[in-house]
Amino acid sequence: MTPTPDALCRHCLLPVGRRGFARAVNGEACKFCCYGCCIAHQVKSGSGDASEAAWFLVRLGAGSFLSMNIMLFSLLVYSGAFTGTDRRVLPTIHLLLWGLATPAVLILGEPFLRETWSQARRGRLTSSALIVLGSFAAYAYSTLAVFQRGGHLYFDTASMVLMLFTLGRYLEAAGRARASRDLAPLLAAESELATVIEAGQEHRRPVREVRAGMLIRVKPGERIPVDGLIVEGCSHTDDAVITGESRHIAKSVGASVLAGSINLDGPLLICSSSAGGESRWAQICRSVRDALHQSSRTQRIADRVVGAFVPIVLALAAITLIYWVHRLPLDEAMLAALSVLVVACPCAVGLAAPMAHSLAIGQLARHGCLVRSPGALEALAGTHLIAFDKTGTLTLGRPRLVDVASEGVGDDEVLARLAGLERHSEHGLARAIALAASVRGLDPIAAEEVQILPGRGLRGMVHGEAVAAGSAALMHELGWVLPPALCGRAELMAASGHSVVFVGWSENALAGRARAALSFDDTPLPEARATVEALGALGLRVVLLSGDHAGAAARVAAAVCTDDWQAGLLPEAKRAALDQYRARHGAVAMVGDGLNDGPGLAWADVGIAVGSATDLARETADLVLPVGGLWLLPWVVGRARAVRSTILANLAWAFGYNLVALTCAVLGLLQPILAAAVMAGSSLLVVLNSLRLERLPGPCHPSEPALSAPARPASEPGPPAQGHSRALALLKAQS
Amino acid sequence: MTYYALLFVAGFAGSFHCIGMCGGFACALGADPRGASATSLRHVLYNIGRLSSYCFLGALAGALGQVICTSLAAGSQREAPLLSASLDVGQRVLAVMAGLLMILMALRFFGVRGWHGVTSGFGGSTLVVSLRSLLGRRGFAAPLALGVLNGFLPCPLVYAMVAQAASTFDVLAGCLSMAAFGLGTFPAMLAMGGIGRLLAPTWRQRGVRLAGSFILALGLVTLCRGVMPMMAGHGLHHIWHLA
Repeated sequence: MTPTPDALCRHCLLPVGRRGFARAVNGEACKFCCYGCCIAHQVKSGSGDASEAAWFLVRLGAGSFLSMNIMLFSLLVYSGAFTGTDRRVLPTIHLLLWGLATPAVLILGEPFLRETWSQARRGRLTSSALIVLGSFAAYAYSTLAVFQRGGHLYFDTASMVLMLFTLGRYLEAAGRARASRDLAPLLAAESELATVIEAGQEHRRPVREVRAGMLIRVKPGERIPVDGLIVEGCSHTDDAVITGESRHIAKSVGASVLAGSINLDGPLLICSSSAGGESRWAQICRSVRDALHQSSRTQRIADRVVGAFVPIVLALAAITLIYWVHRLPLDEAMLAALSVLVVACPCAVGLAAPMAHSLAIGQLARHGCLVRSPGALEALAGTHLIAFDKTGTLTLGRPRLVDVASEGVGDDEVLARLAGLERHSEHGLARAIALAASVRGLDPIAAEEVQILPGRGLRGMVHGEAVAAGSAALMHELGWVLPPALCGRAELMAASGHSVVFVGWSENALAGRARAALSFDDTPLPEARATVEALGALGLRVVLLSGDHAGAAARVAAAVCTDDWQAGLLPEAKRAALDQYRARHGAVAMVGDGLNDGPGLAWADVGIAVGSATDLARETADLVLPVGGLWLLPWVVGRARAVRSTILANLAWAFGYNLVALTCAVLGLLQPILAAAVMAGSSLLVVLNSLRLERLPGPCHPSEPALSAPARPASEPGPPAQGHSRALALLKAQS
Repeated sequence: MTYYALLFVAGFAGSFHCIGMCGGFACALGADPRGASATSLRHVLYNIGRLSSYCFLGALAGALGQVICTSLAAGSQREAPLLSASLDVGQRVLAVMAGLLMILMALRFFGVRGWHGVTSGFGGSTLVVSLRSLLGRRGFAAPLALGVLNGFLPCPLVYAMVAQAASTFDVLAGCLSMAAFGLGTFPAMLAMGGIGRLLAPTWRQRGVRLAGSFILALGLVTLCRGVMPMMAGHGLHHIWHLA
């Protein structure tokens, strides 16, 4: 899918959807998902008197002033303050009410009217149509009553309904913006400007237009827009957006900097090393944007319900009116129908999932975990079994030389020859050998004509004699002698779970002979056991699916305490194993390093890549954990479950609420003002319930005591944060 | 009349507390370039907006009290048409609740904190951020709107007064109580707009203490109305309203 960059709401970063509309703010075309977001964005981004921002609040304030006065007088009338001798002022009061209500309905109703009109022209009915219909009907009826000197007045209903809805939408939008606070730095990559120095002059340019080799100036407090090298200046940077860890790292001339990190304290001149759109930050940005665009299954169902909502409610209101008009006076029948119109709250259904999703995606991203689709979170929450790959996932992926069993030669000679040979290999074992040789202070003996034999080992020539290193099969293939004693020791090594490599060479042009067996061990990650145990505590079955031989798999499985293990699996066999588990345990998740397990990760219901170094765009995993981020997995699972339960609670509330409220309204048991208040409260409740996700504790590294929770990344030095802290300061000053 | 005068004084004393936050708004509202009369109009509009919010809250609280009492009374008359005793019961329950609430709020002025989290939550900060953007705007609707929204800022003083208004069990009385309180805050708030933050912090501290004492006294009296024996309560109620 290729989303257009503008298709997310400018304010709350949720997809714009069908209610969306465009409006220019500060001379910039912005898209919003709802009227509330539009107001809230303008209030947030507007500065001083130049902007149009405060106009909405003026509207809300002036409208509230009028409707509160209407309500005040109406309350006085209802409570019988104008009975007896004061009765003759009633017509004057009625005229006064009309005089207050007319501007109130116009001021508050205009945005709803406009939205209804623009949607109706496109053949759609939105919930604002219900509000407009309801409040304008009440106003029209009351106006008639004023001038015909008869009947009850419902100006209070008309204006309060509009006021409550305006207020409700504004607060809802504020809540949604708060939910997307964590996402803003991630999505900034596409809208950020870079200060490019061209011909000695500074130009502000979009990041995507920056190419490799350009000079960029970054002021303290700004985000570094591109990957590059520091040419001038020194500073500290915070890479939290990329690595998930908020740490201040000192950087000076020649050091490389990552796009997306914040330049903390000194001005920097950076030479960009790649195009602006290719940095990991930009990739993350695209990935997060894609994720926000996709909707989970729950969300699709909810959207379909919302789509059918408005016509159904209109029909219900008509039925209510027709039913009651035969049994009650016209105005009471109208009131019942009005309640039906304003009490229905499709917004709560529509908001149930996306806010929780964007909140969770943002929070996970803050710790370096990327979610590719909201559906993955829901699937992870429903998973009962997690399968792990071994190498590089549960283990360090860096084998270590453990033991050398030699026959007739010294260990050092074996190692020196082998180091020379393995120099030509990229294999993980080669690094282990080079390390072991350098630790012993050995100089590798140079090898020539080195040939890599995939899956078996490698061979070459040292001083004109053949040398080979690899499996027993390789020795047989070469027709070299494999002494039984050496073979026996190698079997012992393999049985204890180590990888074994035979080394042999020929002497004096005779047939070669295996001289030594080396055993290597890939140590489990220090946090692997704690992670697996934490997952077990969450009620998940943990299994190990390894391509390695049985001994190694069993040893790792025992070390980290998995529930089950299978070894020697080729990629196809891994898929079959996943299918088996899926049949027995339901949805399965697979954790791998993303390099070797692509097919497995894609085949599982949820594929989780740890520390993936591959291009994010080609990543098959649904969830990408940062490098060394295995320990985050239990937290991620917990978070996914919290998201799912929040969404279910939201949906249960939204459907339950609409069912009960609509029934009450149809039966004529609900006052319209009360209905409007309850309705506005309903979507606020969904927003607040989703915001509760924010309060859940952050991840806690197993090596740290539970008390020292990881520090929250430093707050962004931007206007919203300032506004917030200033608000708090004001509130503190107050008491 | 004494009752409303008392509330007016409570408002006046309490406005030393207001200077902390609302006074900041009044200062920031600043002067109008079109001259002194325009500046005055700005500040009067701001205060009228605030007053209308208070009156609205008071009327709403009074109506709520009235509704609860009447429904209780109606319920009791259906069951035991002896006397309108349960009307009194309803009133007294409300009075006790209002009194306790006021005492709680009054204690906050003396430094006892318990409810801080409630008022500084999501709603409050959102509202404050919104209000900021209204400050710099020209025109006369903006100060009015600022005043209206300002009236809904979480404020223990207002909560206490709303509780008091609810315990009047009458829309008009509730509205008038809040109006008296709101008018009481006018002098200080208008002065704030003009003279700025000239008042010494010690005086503000004393004003806050004084306001706290007033609310405490009001709360105790309201509580007494609920707790005292029926006849005495009834008598006191009459004195209260006739005074």
